[in-house]
Amino acid sequence: MKPFDGLTLMQFLWAFLAILGFSIRSNLKGIKILFTALSGGLCWFFYLIVLYYSKSVLFSVFIAIIVVCIYSEILAPRLKTPVSVFVTCAIIPLVPGRGLFNSMQLYIAGDNLNASKTILQTLLIAGTISIAIAIVSSVTNLINKLMNRF
Amino acid sequence: MQKIKPQQVIDLAIEAGRIILQSGGTTNRVELMMRKVCNCFGYPKTESYVTPTGIFISVKDEYGSIFTSIKRIDNRRIDLGKITSISRMVNCMQLKPPSEQDYNEQLIDFEEELKKIDTENPWPSWLKDLCGGGTSGFFCLLFGGSWAEFAVAFTIGVIVTFGLKYLEKLAFNNFLLNAIAAALIVLLAKTIDIFVPYIRLDNIIIGGIMLLVPGLSITNAMRDTMSGDLVAGTARAVEAFFITVGIVAGSASMLKILSLWGY
Repeated sequence: MKPFDGLTLMQFLWAFLAILGFSIRSNLKGIKILFTALSGGLCWFFYLIVLYYSKSVLFSVFIAIIVVCIYSEILAPRLKTPVSVFVTCAIIPLVPGRGLFNSMQLYIAGDNLNASKTILQTLLIAGTISIAIAIVSSVTNLINKLMNRF
Repeated sequence: MQKIKPQQVIDLAIEAGRIILQSGGTTNRVELMMRKVCNCFGYPKTESYVTPTGIFISVKDEYGSIFTSIKRIDNRRIDLGKITSISRMVNCMQLKPPSEQDYNEQLIDFEEELKKIDTENPWPSWLKDLCGGGTSGFFCLLFGGSWAEFAVAFTIGVIVTFGLKYLEKLAFNNFLLNAIAAALIVLLAKTIDIFVPYIRLDNIIIGGIMLLVPGLSITNAMRDTMSGDLVAGTARAVEAFFITVGIVAGSASMLKILSLWGY
């Protein structure tokens, strides 16, 4: 799969629409549902692009989450919305539901070796997401403190 | 000049805090909002301590006497709209603080506004069910499903979102709620699989599970920890872990039961 072709665009669209549904289901209203949906779409888009160039799942998850967290930190105050609302919507496509299901299926089938491999991968993805959120939010705290001081 | 009583201010602040916390806001935000409310009504000396399951607030008046109140919080759920509305309302009030003459009117206004936000429902309930279906269906497409699988995942999503509303009313704990929902997803997918040929169950079930994954808990856990609320951060992380275990336990046991049955 090449980056920037029709398939990537379609995947961006699916992620966009899925997060649009999620934001309406959690009672968000107004123009900001378009922006939360866009953050979900961007998250998946950057994941695919970085995955193509780096061939490493964890690195692409890390970069994608960092990009959408920065996007949320910049955009959320302008739309008078808490940042955590944006981040919550943005990370949903990368939360490893698929790895969870696959490892569960492998455990049921009795294939412990592959199951352990998958569950380790799942845990690593979840940890990477958490660390990316933590880095962006603590750097933003730092920047806000510095801006208030000077 | 008539000053309003600290008890009234505490009630108001706790009500605002309760709504944010029950809708899934970070504890940092709850503390900030409660401090802003007390500050606006003339009580700048406020200390509050918030955990995901309770609010503690104490207000000091100008004579130095302290008033404290505790509020226990249960049945939390995701409602990002309410967090946004309340934050916006409190920030508006902070930009234009009420003058001392009309504290009382402002207090009543604020109380009514809170009640309105607490009961408001910006979207009709059928639309939310359809959106739940849409989320599930589009995630199915995202993970490589076909259009037939999209239709099945959409149907399952609508049914599960509809069912979750009634399960939430029974006030189970989070673990059981997610386990039952995941079991329901697997059961429906397996049942539809009997009647519809040429669909892969993996994508459909994963699409359904994406409705339940604890994205909010992960976000809040990290953001709480990074802003220094270690207790709240740990509690949220454990919540995320148990939601995940619930999903896995529910779907795994249902898959196993159905396979013993012969499907």
